[in-house]
Amino acid sequence: MDLATLQTAGRLARLTLNRPDSRNAMCIELLDALHACVDELSGRDDINVCVVMGAGRAFCAGMDLKELLEDPDNPRRLLTSIAELTIKMRDLPCATIATVNRAAIGGGCGLMCVCDFSITHEDAKIGYPEVDLGVCPAVVAPWLILRTGAGRARQILLQGGVMSGRRAHELGLITRLVESVDDLEDATGDMVERLVAAGPIALQATRAWLNELQPADLVEKVRKGAVISADVASGPEAQESLRKLYQGS
Amino acid sequence: MVRLEHHETPDGRVAVVLLDRHEKRNALTPDMLENIRACADHVHAEEDHPGALVLGGVGDVFCAGFDLSLCQEDPLILPALLTRLSETARALRHLPIPVVAAAQGGAIAGGCALLCGADFVITNRDARLGYPVVRIGVSPAVSSTLLQPAIGHAHCRERLLDPALIDGEEALRIGLASECLAKPDAVLPRALELATDLASKQRHALAATKRWLNELDGSENAAQLDGALNASLAITSGDEQRTMLESVWRG
Repeated sequence: MDLATLQTAGRLARLTLNRPDSRNAMCIELLDALHACVDELSGRDDINVCVVMGAGRAFCAGMDLKELLEDPDNPRRLLTSIAELTIKMRDLPCATIATVNRAAIGGGCGLMCVCDFSITHEDAKIGYPEVDLGVCPAVVAPWLILRTGAGRARQILLQGGVMSGRRAHELGLITRLVESVDDLEDATGDMVERLVAAGPIALQATRAWLNELQPADLVEKVRKGAVISADVASGPEAQESLRKLYQGS
Repeated sequence: MVRLEHHETPDGRVAVVLLDRHEKRNALTPDMLENIRACADHVHAEEDHPGALVLGGVGDVFCAGFDLSLCQEDPLILPALLTRLSETARALRHLPIPVVAAAQGGAIAGGCALLCGADFVITNRDARLGYPVVRIGVSPAVSSTLLQPAIGHAHCRERLLDPALIDGEEALRIGLASECLAKPDAVLPRALELATDLASKQRHALAATKRWLNELDGSENAAQLDGALNASLAITSGDEQRTMLESVWRG
């Protein structure tokens, strides 16, 4: 079974995280599958919009923290992969919409913030609880700052925990809020309809120009963030905290 | 006029730095600014240091800004105040633990600039915040390096150029405050509560996160921080400032 799938229909693409029994936690294999999908999509200038979604009961529970413990090389592998994935996603020619059902946590929230739009519902669980677990959200911080501004990003990342979809909307993490999870499909459909009808050249040119206006050192910072996150995740505080979480000792 | 206290609960240890000159609405002297910085350095140097720091002020108003009456006696006091302010805001920002400011009532001029060193700012609805200093010939540029990333270019431009004050709700809206409460008396207790929660987080992860955020938003950019200070210092010996301050003292 593929842990991520890409389907296209006309000018629309759907990228699905497909590891529902682990709430789409990003393990190395899932990240590899996402890379393959995004590589395929990056060559498609006939697509206007890509909807990113999670199969099952969550958009994405974040990085697979259990994998961080399994091999001393894993923190670096996982975080490098997340960094390069987000860089590629921002460079796609098409617009991207994260449709967030129920939860986008940690790295999952990072994946959401790199998309142009994020739609969720009022009681979704959104946030970056890294500092509660001894890990560091450095790799996703540059994307969050672009979304909310540096002041709010500072408060969100230092405070940790998770917040409601409603609160995330107030802070600017979410671009469109709907009442319940059942409304997500319609709200996403409305936006897709508008974007699919747009001129593909105009859409691509606008998106490329907005990317050019980003800080010149953005890619460098995302990569440096991955190194910092990996270093913290490899350290004794994180390893001890994660072992307690998974082994109860 | 500045006190360092420790607030301990089973959930975490918090350092509390309190401005205590309430008869002057905590108006800042060079020594007070130096003392705040010394408190921050002291907390930093403590072995097994507290997990968060609260900066607050005794009385109805967090801080009314510089004590300008001192400048009347000695023209070198204003440059000293600006330099110490810049150093103190940096020291707070560079602490490896989160800093929560409790800004009840008001944070005016230098008081508002102090807030910019904090990671979280709690205020109340009727509080008055801002930089009413161009009207007395003083430049608030010193605050820009930390203020701009916190509230964005447009709001920063408006706040530093327009001497008008804003209320707590507006401060929350533009991101100068992170929380706005109804009652001023609730501000310090809420700051302590938030700081205690922050102190319970994983310490190494929190320090690494804060350091990285500082690098990303320019808080560690010494050249820019110095440039902002120098922009404020450059006009301190000018005729305009002297004349305008003299008219303040004449009432």
